[in-house]
Amino acid sequence: MAPESKQFDVVVIGGGPGGYAAALYAAAAGLSVALIERDKVGGTCLHRGCIPAKEFLETAHVLRTIEHAGAFGFTTSAPTVDFAVSQNRKNEVVDQLHKGLSGLLKGRKIEVLDGTGRLDANNTVSVLDGADAGATLIGKNVILASGSVPRTLPGFDVDGTIILTSDEFLALSALPASAAVIGGGAIGCEFASMLSDMGSKVTIVEGLPSILAGCDTEVASVVQRSFKKRGIDIVSNAKVIGHTPSTTGTTLHLDGVEDLHVEMVIVSVGRRPRTQGLLGEATGVELDERGFVVADEYMRTAAPNVFAVGDVVAGTPQLAHVGFAEAIVAIKTILGEVTVPVNYDRVPWAIYTNPEVAFCGLTEAAAKERGYNVIVKKDPFAGNGRARIIGDTEGVVKIIAEKNADGTAGQLLGVHMAGPWVTEQLGAGYFAVNWEATASEAAALIQPHPSLSETFGETLLALAGRGLHVG
Amino acid sequence: MADVTLPSLGESVTEGIITRWMKNVGDVVERDEPLFEISTDKVDSELPSPAAGVLLKILANEGDTVGVGAVVAVIGELDGSTASPATPVADAPVAAPIQSASAPSLSASASMSFEKGLVVSPIVRRILDGGGVDARAVQGTGPGGSVTRRDAETAVANGPTDDVPIALTPGMRRMAHHMVDSVRTSPHGFVAVEVDASVFIKLEAVGRTTTDGTPINDEALVALAAVRALAEFDFFNATVAGDDLIIHRTINLGFVRSLQPAGMLVPVVHAAGGLTLRALAHRLNDLSDRVESRQLTTDDLLGGTFSLLAAPTPSTLVAMPLLIQPNVAALSVGAVRHAAVVVLRDGVEIVEPGRRLVLGLSFDHRVADPVSAAKYLERVGELLAAIDVNAER
Repeated sequence: MAPESKQFDVVVIGGGPGGYAAALYAAAAGLSVALIERDKVGGTCLHRGCIPAKEFLETAHVLRTIEHAGAFGFTTSAPTVDFAVSQNRKNEVVDQLHKGLSGLLKGRKIEVLDGTGRLDANNTVSVLDGADAGATLIGKNVILASGSVPRTLPGFDVDGTIILTSDEFLALSALPASAAVIGGGAIGCEFASMLSDMGSKVTIVEGLPSILAGCDTEVASVVQRSFKKRGIDIVSNAKVIGHTPSTTGTTLHLDGVEDLHVEMVIVSVGRRPRTQGLLGEATGVELDERGFVVADEYMRTAAPNVFAVGDVVAGTPQLAHVGFAEAIVAIKTILGEVTVPVNYDRVPWAIYTNPEVAFCGLTEAAAKERGYNVIVKKDPFAGNGRARIIGDTEGVVKIIAEKNADGTAGQLLGVHMAGPWVTEQLGAGYFAVNWEATASEAAALIQPHPSLSETFGETLLALAGRGLHVG
Repeated sequence: MADVTLPSLGESVTEGIITRWMKNVGDVVERDEPLFEISTDKVDSELPSPAAGVLLKILANEGDTVGVGAVVAVIGELDGSTASPATPVADAPVAAPIQSASAPSLSASASMSFEKGLVVSPIVRRILDGGGVDARAVQGTGPGGSVTRRDAETAVANGPTDDVPIALTPGMRRMAHHMVDSVRTSPHGFVAVEVDASVFIKLEAVGRTTTDGTPINDEALVALAAVRALAEFDFFNATVAGDDLIIHRTINLGFVRSLQPAGMLVPVVHAAGGLTLRALAHRLNDLSDRVESRQLTTDDLLGGTFSLLAAPTPSTLVAMPLLIQPNVAALSVGAVRHAAVVVLRDGVEIVEPGRRLVLGLSFDHRVADPVSAAKYLERVGELLAAIDVNAER
């Protein structure tokens, strides 16, 4: 054991949302904390994920607003975009948030070390590289929060110009005239939506029968219809064979489908855990066959006093806010406080495509699969006054409830939304599902008028037996 | 290093349940400092540490049943290497202040014995409240054992839990077992008589202590009279064995002591037959002290031939005791009451302040009857009145 080992109540490996949340929450409880980050605190989410992606999607939203300004009586010339400026604005937003977070960590007296952390036996953590290379720390508790990295496809070597993952895509200062997005999950669809709104010709290549596979089918089909209407091609059930690069981009080869020439290929086929080199000898921490860290519902790994939170944890959704929640569970567990583990069936999901998608709880298919008798109601945004006002009526709210023996709607099982600002609207549905409200209990509460959230309220009323507008 | 073993707890006791550890691993213990609490089918006892040092290991958890002679813990030497907790952090130099003064203390492995039902949805809470169900009484099936709506509805459907089930303590279980057995074995008869208690006025006058300062309580004075009366009513100091009544030559007098929150013990003053008031007061005080400090051994509880129940409260007229098996009689002493008594003065009945006391006798109706019981009680009253407190103290 190195004599200069510093001891902390909590040593966190990884400064992304899971890691920095654990550090902040632990420090707020008066614990001494060290946080080891190999790049910049904020992690993938802040620098190469959620935040930059949403910033660009907002860029696309601004463009749409300008394009629709004529309908409100404004005379505008056809807008052009200097994407380098957009990229700069994104960087400023990220920088400000990064500075804010760094200040917060400093203010809480968290010791932030620069380098790659490795857990060794006996809760010792070594810093392998970076400015603090060679440091060793001892944590009464260690939290593994090393995050994840984009998965890639064999034969598609990432070069940052023709073949990109989300990491490279979000650093672009010019957008391609045409692009193929391999993988029609949340990340792929967000990129496709943004590129298409910004004028690129986009093809989504999806191996499954439809895009947004985890979403309720009716919500996913709202997005799919909107994409198709805006000229996004969707190749489903696709099998990617390979590609042939050329001076103007590359030609994608797909099984049973015509070759596709694009300027750029964006690979968004999921994320793998960053656990290579994370563990030294004899730590006792258990990894699953895909390299994720195995943890119980209190985020405890197989090794005593070693916890894992965030994307690195096996079998849990790779969402920043799930990382935050897991961090709180881990720290409360360390403190011996009362804590309720994350209910992974009921975390909120938000996809910032145009139109947006947000949901919580079981899809209709999943509810039936679990043996529930269900009762389902839907209300489209087309009938919503506020949606008319903002000129954005595409979308639907769909709510799934358990069907009581007498045929009435019981406990809410899932709330699914597609449409304008639904990522901001999900909150009410999230509470209703997690507080285990019935349709009538939730329907008895009022939504403001006029607001987009009335569509949620109207769906609840219909589910409770009698809708004002829908049946 | 010293092993802590479960010592002999008296004859006929082969095992006990560890009910509480008073020390945690890593704590410093003094020799003879109470270390753990054991519950046997006879008694709950605190057992002292056999050595001074650091409690290194606890080998039997609370609730475990252990046999006499089993090693239940290990005590290490204070200054030895085994004495410090064997964690890697212990000998690591500390460069930064580890914790601010207000920081919570960290347990080595976070205790997961979280109180259930504290975090429930407002809707679940309303359902439980409406059904009169305490959230803590519901076994939750949600994450971390949290109470879901379905759990709450099931619990409410099963009825309100105004009745909260509480597991019997070992003391309660012993009492339950013995009392059921006693009622099943002996047909109980009961007689109560009121007797003169003016002797207590005399006792108060001399100061309620022995000449060497040991307190004399009401119980001791009545016990003395009861023991003396047993010499004439020896069939109450007896045991039924088949078709025989075995008369005991020795009077081993059991005193009923209640336990908190419930349960009872009947420690015995052995060979009480020839004791003077002073000696009986000494023995009784010693017994009470050891009940209080949980130092009774099983031998203190065995061999009783007759028992005495003191007034449970200062206004109890008399209580009906159940027989401590295999005894055939149990004396119950009511509270000594201030009373207006009628006395004969110069051939005239007058009323004057005095003391009265109700004595009761529970008896085994197989071998005794109300007449003999009442006669015994009257004799106790006479002998009580005849005690020369000043001479005997």
